[in-house]
Amino acid sequence: MEQSINNRPESMNDTAGDSPASLRQGLLDEIKRLRRFSNRGLWAFSLFLVVSTLAWRGFSALPSPEKIAASLGAPPSTQAISLVLVLYTFSAIILSLSRMMAGIQHRSSFCHVGYLSVFYLFYYLAEGLADNYWAVFGAGFTILCMESYRIWNFCKEGISKKNEQLSFLERNGRLPPDDSPFPQ
Amino acid sequence: MFDKIAGRALVPVGLAVTGFLIVCFLLLYTSIKHVVVSDSVGHANNLAGIVLKSTRYAMLKSDRELNNTIIQNISQQKGVEHVRVFSKQGIVAFSSNAGEVNRQVDKKAEGCVVCHEKMEPRTTLGNMQKARTFRNGLGEEILAITAPIYNEPECANAACHVHPASQKVLGTLDIGLSQQATLGSLASIREQMVLFTLLTLILTTAGVIALLKMIVLLPMRKLQEYTERSELDSSLEPPANLPYELDKIAKSYYVQQVKLHEIGHQAAPADASVRPPEQ
Repeated sequence: MEQSINNRPESMNDTAGDSPASLRQGLLDEIKRLRRFSNRGLWAFSLFLVVSTLAWRGFSALPSPEKIAASLGAPPSTQAISLVLVLYTFSAIILSLSRMMAGIQHRSSFCHVGYLSVFYLFYYLAEGLADNYWAVFGAGFTILCMESYRIWNFCKEGISKKNEQLSFLERNGRLPPDDSPFPQ
Repeated sequence: MFDKIAGRALVPVGLAVTGFLIVCFLLLYTSIKHVVVSDSVGHANNLAGIVLKSTRYAMLKSDRELNNTIIQNISQQKGVEHVRVFSKQGIVAFSSNAGEVNRQVDKKAEGCVVCHEKMEPRTTLGNMQKARTFRNGLGEEILAITAPIYNEPECANAACHVHPASQKVLGTLDIGLSQQATLGSLASIREQMVLFTLLTLILTTAGVIALLKMIVLLPMRKLQEYTERSELDSSLEPPANLPYELDKIAKSYYVQQVKLHEIGHQAAPADASVRPPEQ
């Protein structure tokens, strides 16, 4: 877990001796990083769409569920998988909302793609993928949209703050004093 | 939209509630569908059992006419699409469709392959394994049950029969039932669930909007109007009945405005005293 945007990045903690040019470069780099990071949710969403397409085609590259069940044992029932899916969706939404409230930067989007792929696989093994495909897709769509919105919002605020710092630096030749109410 | 409080508060809440409700709706509907289909298969299996029991005596007596009559009568029942009895060799012995009698069925055909996929055919099947669904020529969905007719001591010992006691299965009964009623029930459940989900969604969103407007947006607008008007009239009192946090902001703003006003008044005579005399 990383710091909230109210706190400066580590490279800028000790800026007393830095020249305005290097501070400016640091801020520009940070803005660039945040812009890149704001697309993370969309990349995760794209990856999820690829996995969903494979699931829609019934994971044709995988061995049949009977063969996998013969070697690994019987899969859990579709009802059990559905119950876990509901709990997971609920927890993921609550977690995302909590991170949104706390303004925490967290790179969790790709983990969710992994969890959702596992749900697709379990339904495939339990021969319930056709019936439950849209439930997993809906859960993934909701969670990844929430995460994308959270990350985008976080980055937007960060970029806006860095732009303010940049304009202050250009006017005064130094960074503004830390305006965080809770400096770390 | 995303810069305003309403947008920032409503987008995540709306997204979370809508998404979670849709996921729950889909899973609940799948679960209900599973129960309804299992029930339907159970009823079809029971019906297949009734048909076998009804034809048992006629089969023991090898009475083809009586068997045909029973099968024709059953097939006339509403919702019964077809009734067939196959011999061990896969030849149609009796059928509700007279044109099918004495025809050979491919053992690889759907409904047969469940038992005949291996060299040694299976002799026992679970309820769900006996069932298959397909669409008939009219596009109706049909649930068919393929039930084995087992050899019993009465069959093996009957004078007119040639079945050895070692033969476990004598033939199969294939009965097809229209799924229209089941699909109709599922469609009705689906419609009611969609309606319920939509109502819950509207109620939740409307509730959040109403609370947000009442608790945050209206007081914020009052505060905004107060700050705008107090720029013209610094003696303007802060609005009453604001929530605690906004009330603190409004009072603090009022105190600042009053102090600024006093400073302005004190500075004005001093300015007048240093003004150069008029020529």
